Amino acid sequence: MMPAGNLARMVVANTLRSRRHFVLSAFGIVIGIATFVVFLASTEQVASVLEKIFPVEQVQVVAPRASLLGKDISKKLDDGIVQKIRARPEVDRADPTAVVPRMGLAFPAMGRGDFEGNDLKFEVGGFADGINPDYVSDDDRTRELFKDWDGMTSDPRRVACAPPPPDPQEEIIQSPPAPKGSHSQPGVYYNPCPQPDRYYCDDVDRTCHHRVPIVMSPTMIELYNGQFARSHGLPIAELDFVKFITSRGGLSAMRFSIGLGLTTIAGSNSALARKKHRVEGVLVGISSKAMPIGMTIPIQYVERWNREFLGDDAATSYSSIIVRLKDRNQIAVFSQWLQDDLDLRLEDSLGEKFATALFVIRLVLILISLVIITISAINIAHNFFMQVTERRRELGLLRAIGATQSDVLLVVLGEAALIGLIGGLLGVALGWAIAAGIDAGSARYLPRFPYKPASWFHFKWWIVLGGLACSTGFSVLGGYLPARRASRMEPAQALTQN
Amino acid sequence: MAPSLADPPPPPAHVRAAQIASRDAGVACSLLPVGTLIELRDLARYYQMGDERIAALDGVSFAIEAGEMVAIVGSSGSGKSTLLNILGCLDTPSRGEYRLAGNDVQDLSDDDRARVRNRQIGFVFQSFQLLHRATAQRNVALPLVYRDVPARERNRRASEALARVGLAHRQGHKPFQLSGGQRQRVAIARALVTEPTLLLCDEPTGNLDSETGKEVIDFFRELNAKDGVTLVIVTHERRVSSVAKRVIAMRDGMLVETTDEALAAAHGSGPA
Repeated sequence: MMPAGNLARMVVANTLRSRRHFVLSAFGIVIGIATFVVFLASTEQVASVLEKIFPVEQVQVVAPRASLLGKDISKKLDDGIVQKIRARPEVDRADPTAVVPRMGLAFPAMGRGDFEGNDLKFEVGGFADGINPDYVSDDDRTRELFKDWDGMTSDPRRVACAPPPPDPQEEIIQSPPAPKGSHSQPGVYYNPCPQPDRYYCDDVDRTCHHRVPIVMSPTMIELYNGQFARSHGLPIAELDFVKFITSRGGLSAMRFSIGLGLTTIAGSNSALARKKHRVEGVLVGISSKAMPIGMTIPIQYVERWNREFLGDDAATSYSSIIVRLKDRNQIAVFSQWLQDDLDLRLEDSLGEKFATALFVIRLVLILISLVIITISAINIAHNFFMQVTERRRELGLLRAIGATQSDVLLVVLGEAALIGLIGGLLGVALGWAIAAGIDAGSARYLPRFPYKPASWFHFKWWIVLGGLACSTGFSVLGGYLPARRASRMEPAQALTQN
Repeated sequence: MAPSLADPPPPPAHVRAAQIASRDAGVACSLLPVGTLIELRDLARYYQMGDERIAALDGVSFAIEAGEMVAIVGSSGSGKSTLLNILGCLDTPSRGEYRLAGNDVQDLSDDDRARVRNRQIGFVFQSFQLLHRATAQRNVALPLVYRDVPARERNRRASEALARVGLAHRQGHKPFQLSGGQRQRVAIARALVTEPTLLLCDEPTGNLDSETGKEVIDFFRELNAKDGVTLVIVTHERRVSSVAKRVIAMRDGMLVETTDEALAAAHGSGPA
């Protein structure tokens, strides 16, 4: 067999020599691969957006709602249920965050905060829940700040302090830090705690407490950007939280006061209003583990507050349990067990439905691309058959001067592979250009909406490599039969052809 | 009647001299070729055309000594090209034996026959068979591509071969920039670049004018005389066969006597 270097040089020389043949053969591959990478990159991007909205790798266990004479008699989700679920074979027992209970704030609460010069009041009761802090560890900042600060006994900043004066209007105004120098205004209450950005003085035990850490879901940011920011003339928030927060002066800009037992809805739950309790919170991060519409805090806070306002039963009853299964295919088995043994059910997962729909769409798009590539492979086969016939005498000559059958086979297959590779590269470049054009059009003409991506395409390395492998593979496949015919040509007959 | 292997023609004077010198010196090899290079025994080649079997060659036996210059003559369809193809390992016989330099060739695999073609045989065709878009140098270097010869060495040997046929100044030219005679000389250089023991020529002057044809024939004669290259030339032309040291005439796939009458009949109306 001829040396590999000589084979490569001959393949390149032959390909450069027949440019018309190259263009005719590569055209289909370029189109096929361009559609292939564009389709895959777009579905990949859609999938990543969907995963932001609906984390699809997990299921949520809930108790079916039941009531008798207006009284809620739904099954209680407690630690016993959590242990039973954790013991299931479908659940990865080695992962401590595979089973994570959530506890909703079960009484009214309202929030108040200053945002970009706007005094915002919002309902927190029903829009807040608690979760195990270990489960929320999206970035270093969240890992550092999202924990049960009140449960820590060794915090040196838990010092005694004078709380703000009683607030008969229930305005739950935040305590501002004392201004530097001697600019303090007489009669104004200033936060007396060390690090006033992070600590506030609690009304009940009159000591400094770390602000309650809060995480929000990307959905909240998208809703803010898509609806709220526009209608209120506020700036668009970047999802890159660190950038977002540092550009607005750090933690102090994202503080809230929360009035536990208070509500923005007039006349509701007046019985609880007697037990009001003001706490201060701070937004520490954006997490897909947070409840989609609302705020999420460490579960220990919710347990304490539910116990304080509603008693032990509310502090041991979970609103749902998030379960990550080993394999998504085991959802059906797990769901059946829940229903049969525990009388519980899985919450309908829109994410699951979207993921399935996306899978089908992606499959269809890949099939369309493969059909185009297959047609181009047939086109390559046709062109190579023509070329082998045209080059019959040349191939006969090569055989006469010492080329073996495998030499001829490899030369023709090498030409096909080179056409496939170059066609693939051009196809990827074309796909990228099409994507850039669509993105430019989208940025210019499509109005902003929740989750509108900066780019509609995500060209992952495996998409590009897959495209190139596909183009080369299909091209070689198309060139195989002509190459085989060329290699089996009788040299004596080939040389005498007119 | 076909000549038999038992009665091969005597080797040329220079081969005999080399054989004697080699024997006297007690060495195993000599600078000039010695001994029988080609041996054919009862060789036949049949083609199946529908139900009919056509015998392109039928019971051909002869031997060619190393260093000989042999012409094969015969009218169209006499089987001379088929014979040349078998001698060049481009085709395999349906029956009989073919030994090249003492080795059985008919039983070799396709790849082995390709190696024999590359290392021992050079071809010169009537229609030159050059690659149109490659330079003379690249055309000549082509057989070396199938050996592990570095590119620089290939080019050096190709330039040498071109210089040998008087085309040192044309190595960068492409076939369409050369005359017919020059093209044929490029083809001869390509055949010689591997330093073959056997040069097979199929109507080498068929596409050349008489003056250029004469130059090519003179070159062959010189190649045979000076370098001892064994030449087998298939030709219609008497002026070509007349310079051969032996003429093998063919008719209907068989060898015929090489009398003057038979030769005249074999040449038919070919150019004198």
